[in-house]
Amino acid sequence: MRKLLTLTILAMLTVLGTGCATMHGDDKQKVVYHINYNDEKQLNAALGNVKNHISAIGKDKIDVKVVLHGNGVDLLKTANTDLDMQQKVIGLKKDGVAFEVCGNTLKGKKINYKNDLFDVSEKDIVPSGVAELATLQQQGYVYIKP
Amino acid sequence: MSQEKRFSDEFLNAFVDNQIAAEEKSQAFIEIGQDETLNRQVCELRKLHDLVQLAYREPPAPPARITSGSTSRHARLRFGVAASVLLTLGIVLGSMIHLPGATTIPTVTTAPDGSAQRAATSPKRVALPMATSNTMVAAAPTQESLSVSPVTSLLPTPTVAPVMLVPVIAQKKIPDNTQTKVLIHLARDDVEQLRLALDDIEGLLKYYRETRQNARLEVVVNGGGLELVRTDTSAFAGRILRLQREYDNLTFAACQNTIDRLAREQGIIVRLLPGVITIDSGMAEIMRRQNQGWTYLQV
Repeated sequence: MRKLLTLTILAMLTVLGTGCATMHGDDKQKVVYHINYNDEKQLNAALGNVKNHISAIGKDKIDVKVVLHGNGVDLLKTANTDLDMQQKVIGLKKDGVAFEVCGNTLKGKKINYKNDLFDVSEKDIVPSGVAELATLQQQGYVYIKP
Repeated sequence: MSQEKRFSDEFLNAFVDNQIAAEEKSQAFIEIGQDETLNRQVCELRKLHDLVQLAYREPPAPPARITSGSTSRHARLRFGVAASVLLTLGIVLGSMIHLPGATTIPTVTTAPDGSAQRAATSPKRVALPMATSNTMVAAAPTQESLSVSPVTSLLPTPTVAPVMLVPVIAQKKIPDNTQTKVLIHLARDDVEQLRLALDDIEGLLKYYRETRQNARLEVVVNGGGLELVRTDTSAFAGRILRLQREYDNLTFAACQNTIDRLAREQGIIVRLLPGVITIDSGMAEIMRRQNQGWTYLQV
């Protein structure tokens, strides 16, 4: 009985601490952009949105991730050959944007990220792009689908 | 089922304990979501549920044995140290939230069963044990004064503290990993897009199952997206039935506004595939779910 009481009290203290801890966050705006289409016009518009978003907030005050899955992976495929697209990706990366690529899509479409995609390394691959979108939102990222 | 019975305490308890059928649960989920009082009631039950689980994480002690005076004092001292360390930790963490510019995350603060709200609504429950713990701390004044400043060096001493500290760290990173809740919104009737969307939905369900994550998925269809779940238009009826059979954590929810509009404007009497539920409004559902801490995806 006493042990139970002890545990309960300790649990309460922990919960109290946790409640406080979860409310604490850093002051950077966290945003995740979701791209799953390969229409070039739409892609250019989306990258334009990201760029404008960063210049509006300031690149030191924002943490942007772009999650690519399904047809969206074609963005980096295009960037491999299309220099205009490539410049846009390079520019955004310089501003701190992280491009995350869905591992399931790579597998499903048999894409070799080293050869077929522009500037992708192993750390840019997430197991599931869709799950990553959910995880990031749980971590406080705001979801935008341009 | 009558309203009264649906919302009885027994029902709500069963609801929180996951002991009712999936279909009934999803229906109840919607109705509870619409009612603020019920929502709060469910939230309270969840909180209690969580606290009980937390308290029982370590098995209860064996039947009390007769202890000599010196060992029980020892235990009390140890407890005092553990309590004071945790209290200090709580205070330190608590003070951190008062830092200027700290942002609050909407999904955390508004989650019905999120930890932030759990803490916010629990002072009543905490009040009594806190008083007890204070007296316990006071019983070991010398220990406390020694222990407060070098918190880290003392952490290993009380045997319980490290175990209880784990949830603090784990929950800070992932607010509420006990249940991931994802709403997927489909509003267009493009068959190819719907096929890709179903691929994504199935992939996500598979991923959560493989990684043993406790997740719920709700697919909200409105506008053109409704075609996916209509018996006369769905190009994927078999697949939807199979997915529902294979994954009981998946719900398809159709917008009643769209259904009414089709009847009014085109005279179409919509018949939905078995297992598909209706919600008053797709848009309202999206807002509601996000306020309840669900993540939103448009695929």
